[in-house]
Amino acid sequence: MNSRLRALIRGEFVRLNRYNLFAASFVVSLFYVLMASFIDDAMVLGVMPFIFLLDSTMMTSLLVGATLFYEKKEHTVNSIMVTPASSDEYVTAKLVTSIATSLFTVVFVSLALYALKGVTYKYAHVIFAAVAVTSLHTMIGVRIAYSAKNFTSMLIGFMLYVTVFMFPSVLAMTGVIGPKLADFLVILPLETSANLMRAGFGPGVEPWKIVFGYLYITALTLLLYFFAVKPRFAEYMMREMGV
Amino acid sequence: MFKVDSLEYSYPGNAKKAVDKLSFEVKDGEIYGLLGPSGAGKSTTQKILIKLIKDYKGAITYKDKPLRAYDNSFYEDIGVSFEMPISFSKLTAMENLDFFRRLYKRTVDVEPLMKRVGLWDDRDRKAGEYSKGMKIRLNFVRALINGPKVLFLDEPTNGIDPLNARIMKDMILEFKQAGGTVFLASHIMSDVDQLCDRVGFIINGRIHEEDTPRNLKLKYGKKVVTVEYRENGLLKSSEFSMDALKGEDFAKMVREKQIETIHSGETTLEEIFIKVTGVALHEQQA
Repeated sequence: MNSRLRALIRGEFVRLNRYNLFAASFVVSLFYVLMASFIDDAMVLGVMPFIFLLDSTMMTSLLVGATLFYEKKEHTVNSIMVTPASSDEYVTAKLVTSIATSLFTVVFVSLALYALKGVTYKYAHVIFAAVAVTSLHTMIGVRIAYSAKNFTSMLIGFMLYVTVFMFPSVLAMTGVIGPKLADFLVILPLETSANLMRAGFGPGVEPWKIVFGYLYITALTLLLYFFAVKPRFAEYMMREMGV
Repeated sequence: MFKVDSLEYSYPGNAKKAVDKLSFEVKDGEIYGLLGPSGAGKSTTQKILIKLIKDYKGAITYKDKPLRAYDNSFYEDIGVSFEMPISFSKLTAMENLDFFRRLYKRTVDVEPLMKRVGLWDDRDRKAGEYSKGMKIRLNFVRALINGPKVLFLDEPTNGIDPLNARIMKDMILEFKQAGGTVFLASHIMSDVDQLCDRVGFIINGRIHEEDTPRNLKLKYGKKVVTVEYRENGLLKSSEFSMDALKGEDFAKMVREKQIETIHSGETTLEEIFIKVTGVALHEQQA
């Protein structure tokens, strides 16, 4: 890791702290623990994948969106881009910070649940899933934030994403879509993300879905980065400069 | 230092060229001012020169090498101060500078710079609590943090009180004396007059006039001297051509009349700006 990337990552953490985004994330983690502590021990393992999925998807997208929103508001991205730091390093710093924040939640909530309820699960699996799902949703968050004119439109963008990509899964859960057709839902990022998270909590997910999920999410993350985030960065910059 | 030849650029979705066959040179160690009304292409030109806009037509060389051939290490050499206040509002001034300092290989001690611009005592205050003038001064210090060879300044003294503006202009002149090159985009004519070795007037993306401020004043000014004097309690004035100053009429007037003022017909950059661009300064500043 070069010194610029280290500096950018350090800067991201400092700002997450100063802009109270890290505190907000921590409060959400506390809420997860509180919620889980009220749930019956037998049901906790069924709820936790959903909690970690929520954190790695919505919280990640919102957190990265919020940092970009502040940078837009304060025009600081312009100044960063006239330093030797590249747009690759800039996005990588956001990715690393998102992953670290997500992992902090996984570790904190897991420790708390173990302490409170003695609940354990496949930690390594959850960590891998959190890294993969967070990476994808960092790219989604950055892409949505590029186009958002303000914080509200950014939230609407996230809600649209969730609604559109969760709707078919809801249809499958309610039986509107049959089991054979439901297998094809793995192409939906949220469905595959949910499969990866669930795999850490029991044997319910077919192995091919896990292998496909990691490959698919990695490919999607790279595709989004190279075709939706990186090429649009210059355009985003120009808009932020008032052009 | 920078050579720009037949530069053309249109913003996406806009048929009108923001910069159109623009050619000029910024020489090593000079302060070059680009002047023009709003929308004339000053900022676009600056954005192209600092590699924020890359899909332009034409040729630009920096140190005799095509600008496109430079990677991000180009930014080790340059410092940019934008017109608008840019800082992380919830970080202190020093934390802001520390963040940017870490992105460069070579950096300078910020303490003397912060003391010089009068921000040292407020260094631990959040940038968001700074006044606009203080934020602009912080922008300026940040632009100098890597000890740049070239400074790009966009309206560097806009929103700053006269004393601090004077200090910043002195720092810009000292930067030049130390061998630095400055590209200044401004429409504050007093700054341009005091700082620039050469100026270019840009209108509709093209340079219409380019020379030293002195030569421009000679070109556009009237070669006359106006003398105001008091006679029988009345204020009167007479105009003499420069050639007539050696003559007896002028000498007699100076000897015999109660002279109150003597002005040469030298014009100001503001008047030249209005003549060249056809736009009154107060209109674009509004």
